Amino acid sequence: MLFNDYAFLLVFLPASLVIYRFADPHPQWRIGVLVILSFVFYSYWNPLFIILLALSITVNWLAARGYLATKRGGFITGSIVANLAVLGFFKYANFVSDNLAYLFERPLWHFNIALPLGISFFTFHHIMYLVDLRRGKAPDYSLGRYALYISFFPQSIAGPLARWSEVMHQFGRQAYAPGWQRQFAVGVTFIVIGLIEKTWLADPLGRLLDPIYAQAIHGPVTNGNSWPALGFAFQVLFDFAGYCDVAIGVGLLFGVQLPYNFNAPLRSTNLQDFWQRWHITLMTFLRDYVFIPLSNVKIGRKRYRLVQHFSAMLLTMALCGLWHGASWTFVLWGALHGCALVIVSLWRRYGPRLPALLGWALTAIFVLLTCVIFRAGSMEAAMNIYRGLVELPDLERTLRSVPIIIAALCAFLLPASQDIVAGLTERPKTAIAAVLGLAAVAILVELGDRDAYEFVYFQF
Amino acid sequence: MNLSTSSSDSQAWGRWLATFLCMAALGACMIFALVILVDPYDSGRFGFIGIKGISDESPRTANASRGRDPQFSAAVFGNSTGQLLKPTELSQATGLRFVQLTIPGTGPREQIVLLRWFVRHHARADALVIVTDPVWCIDDPALPIFNPFPFWLYSDSPIEYLGQLFSSRALGRLVRRVELGLGLRTPSAPDGYWNYELLGHGEFRPAPPPNEPADTAAVAETQFPAIEQLAGFIANVPNVPVVLVMPPMIASDLPRPGSSGAARLAACKGALARLVAGRPHSNFLDFRVDDPLTRDRKNFLDPVHYRAPVARRMEQRIAESLRVGNAGPTTF
Repeated sequence: MLFNDYAFLLVFLPASLVIYRFADPHPQWRIGVLVILSFVFYSYWNPLFIILLALSITVNWLAARGYLATKRGGFITGSIVANLAVLGFFKYANFVSDNLAYLFERPLWHFNIALPLGISFFTFHHIMYLVDLRRGKAPDYSLGRYALYISFFPQSIAGPLARWSEVMHQFGRQAYAPGWQRQFAVGVTFIVIGLIEKTWLADPLGRLLDPIYAQAIHGPVTNGNSWPALGFAFQVLFDFAGYCDVAIGVGLLFGVQLPYNFNAPLRSTNLQDFWQRWHITLMTFLRDYVFIPLSNVKIGRKRYRLVQHFSAMLLTMALCGLWHGASWTFVLWGALHGCALVIVSLWRRYGPRLPALLGWALTAIFVLLTCVIFRAGSMEAAMNIYRGLVELPDLERTLRSVPIIIAALCAFLLPASQDIVAGLTERPKTAIAAVLGLAAVAILVELGDRDAYEFVYFQF
Repeated sequence: MNLSTSSSDSQAWGRWLATFLCMAALGACMIFALVILVDPYDSGRFGFIGIKGISDESPRTANASRGRDPQFSAAVFGNSTGQLLKPTELSQATGLRFVQLTIPGTGPREQIVLLRWFVRHHARADALVIVTDPVWCIDDPALPIFNPFPFWLYSDSPIEYLGQLFSSRALGRLVRRVELGLGLRTPSAPDGYWNYELLGHGEFRPAPPPNEPADTAAVAETQFPAIEQLAGFIANVPNVPVVLVMPPMIASDLPRPGSSGAARLAACKGALARLVAGRPHSNFLDFRVDDPLTRDRKNFLDPVHYRAPVARRMEQRIAESLRVGNAGPTTF
């Protein structure tokens, strides 16, 4: 069930709201009902995977209980290793096998496995809680509350990667408390804005760009067709930001405020700024649970600390790339961003101050160019796109690229969607409600063509 | 974002939510009302304002309108290999009123749906000409489709149809239909004829099929599930003349005699011929043969798409079959 699917928008979501309306007056039912709804949502793709989800929740919760009862760190370490092993098996087993096969020049095992949806996200949720439990920052939670933290359906598949400290206290709160109407209005606005980003900005780009990237797999991209391919950065931005906005909106309908994940990243004036505004929840996770530990661990002499710091930065970004997919192109993409972050850090420390406009242009060009590697699937395909950039598109192709130009203008000029929502819901203006209502119908009509694109981030 | 409000604000936000829901509901109702009034695909289920003519250019969807048009009593079915058969020529030669209901890129599953649609909307159909090219010879009982097809448009259920009208494609068709009603658009050809020769000049390279020896035992056991389904369909319309047409292809690309391809094609042709054997005014016409007409590359746009001179000869044979059944010729 996709957020841009009739099954979700017209059946699951309204039914869940009605069911939760009945549960809301009974504090003891709230969490249980949301867990059941979340499991129903998750089982829509593959009912068998709910066994994995349930097992994952139970084992990790028991490990936490074991640690709290005995204070033996092995529970936490073992649990984290097990989580990473499961993720590694589902996501990277074939990648490792293919690379070993290439090294040893003979075929090795190949698993015919489907990646359970959202496994990266719920694995990271477990790790955040377990690490903080060990650090003495996280308290003990009941199984029901912990299950909801992992499975809460608005965020379980592709984020935002909410920390336990951001959401646990909100679970079980009364959604229909005094003032719920404003919360609902904000939620509805987030959903409509998110669907607009997905349906009217990201999907038209997908329709334009997919044939170009398909062509790049087979050979050179000619006639200036490579230029529109740079628009993938806008597609993935509005696709994922749209998804997150719908998730945030749906969360609000159940009384839970999820963290924001994008903050107009393509308006950043340097790459450090960009990574603080793009997929914010993943980057703060990587910062707190990968980069800072790697940066602070004592290896070598003090005078090498700067080298260690930058190495940690590079490694974190390479891991960020690998997290996005089991392919060397993702690793390269992450490593390139890591290198660029190192250069930006050094420049900011030792170099002259760049004018904001120049900083913005350099950042945007770098992001647009590296997104080609992210999307192309292979270096050969990416190089075919890059080589094609020597040819400029003709007027006809430029005119066909209007959706890219619109998306680019939105990405470069508009504020973050949460600021747009805040502006639209500052006061209860019925004219805005009417326009949003009509926009919702227009989106449903667009989705009625049944060839809506999946959210790009579902594959991660 | 601060979400706290006062109680008077809560009432205002309540009205905000009510406005949102009302506008969404109103918008949805208006769209449903419009599609019910106009019937964007002219399927005959709704369309109370009664716009006449075909505003659609795609035969996949336009044939819903053509297939129920009472001015026609006979129809040609198939894919692009039957598209050059001219309804006016067939009508002139037979005295019946023919419409072209072929749809490029379709197979047996879609064509049987079209056959049912035509028969459902014609209490008395005078003739069915079905161009059964080798896609009818597949052995996969699932009858796979190779291109998207709007099965919902030809469905028995108006609800299924209505469910598909809430889409931007349907609204696009609705606008065209309204334009047609206002005289702002020229209607598409009511008989569905379209000459694919206008598309290109027909440069092609013959590609003879592999010459594998025939496995007679395997061919004898071959099932033709599409032909079985067709048999079920024509058994339900016992009084309607049916002409099955195996369309021609360039002779150089025909399976070599004695090859497995030739054996399989022969078995398929046999199954088709048996379907109409003894049926009044019905026949199986086999044009997929080595013949002076099929040896001449000038008669083909590509290996399977023949040109007008071939089509005219086929039309003559179809007309003769409808007159005398299988007492007439069975090939060129």
